[in-house]
Amino acid sequence: MKELARLVLVLTLIAAGAGLILSLVERATREPIAEQRRQETLRALSAVLPPADNSPDTDTVSLVVGKDRRGRELQRLFFRGRKGGEVSGVAFKVVAPDGYSGNIAIMVGIDPTGTVTGVEILSHAETPGLGDKITEAWFKEMFKGRNLDNADWRVKKDGGEFDQITGATISPRAVVGAIHRGLDFFKTHQDEILASSGGSGQ
Amino acid sequence: MSLAREFTKGLWRDNAVFRLLLGLCPALAVTTSAVNGLGMGFATTFVLVCSNFVVASLRKVIPARVRIPSFIVIIASFVTVVQLCMEAYFYDLHKALGIFIPLIVVNCLILGRAEAYASRNPLLPSVVDGVGMGLGFTLALFVLGSVRELFGVGTLLGFTVFGAGYQPLILMILPPGAFIAMGLLLAGMNRIESLRK
Repeated sequence: MKELARLVLVLTLIAAGAGLILSLVERATREPIAEQRRQETLRALSAVLPPADNSPDTDTVSLVVGKDRRGRELQRLFFRGRKGGEVSGVAFKVVAPDGYSGNIAIMVGIDPTGTVTGVEILSHAETPGLGDKITEAWFKEMFKGRNLDNADWRVKKDGGEFDQITGATISPRAVVGAIHRGLDFFKTHQDEILASSGGSGQ
Repeated sequence: MSLAREFTKGLWRDNAVFRLLLGLCPALAVTTSAVNGLGMGFATTFVLVCSNFVVASLRKVIPARVRIPSFIVIIASFVTVVQLCMEAYFYDLHKALGIFIPLIVVNCLILGRAEAYASRNPLLPSVVDGVGMGLGFTLALFVLGSVRELFGVGTLLGFTVFGAGYQPLILMILPPGAFIAMGLLLAGMNRIESLRK
């Protein structure tokens, strides 16, 4: 019995010490981590949006884009860049679930008419050296200036006009498809997204 | 054994990756570039030194029957510290290493040193053992990462080594390349060892 008490006591003390140290470290790193994540979003936003003089990461609208398999609502955040109070561009994240390996997360920037101003790949797990060429500048540049009316949103192999990557058709096809669906969603909901509420959440 | 011997054994004679074949999961998975190898190596070294330090100082307090859970709690705490600090101050490295940082907890090299060395030896040799073993692990990951980056991308630490005309051997940065590079390096090490005898 005395032996058992000793086992419990020592293990409890070790766990308590570990908990104390972890809570201190967590408190010290909480701010820098939040700042790093914010900076990452800001970098992606400034890469895809036309010049803006507000902070787009706080001027957002959230819309329901669909339901997941369990019937819960899926939200999508729309970041609005403004120039002199007027909306100059909208950025939103789309996810391509049909890449070669895993999801591809893409930040798409468009102007208020629905023409693409920039595309940034946020995360992916495509094959290094093949599918990961979707992160290269020439690939992302292809989408600039395109909208639903002036482009056929398919890769060339499928009869569209976007270059695929030699040896990797699946990744570009997934990206093109995801951006296309994002533009479609914007077109049907643009009134809600552009509605000038002066920035929700402010 | 002298302290110097305790230190150098981890670098070559008992090198974790190339001689003991411990910790192969991170060694094979993250070494797609030299920088990733170094980052993973230093993170592991930090955890190993800290856990050896704590385990050695508590070795007379921890009852034998709960030593494994105690070691795991100690190791897991330091791994979480590394993970939080890396996300706060080395964000890009944190994104590149991803899930493999929390998985340092189950790196058998660290538990192995706690069990086989730090729990039976005084404080100073245990810390030296941790530094040596950790740097040996870092060295192994750096070499593996360099070889794969050099042939798979044509760069070393991000600098172009082979000119623009080099057609990268993509296989080397894919998973099979890890095994191929590892096998060749092991064969080389064994050859050197047999020549020394």
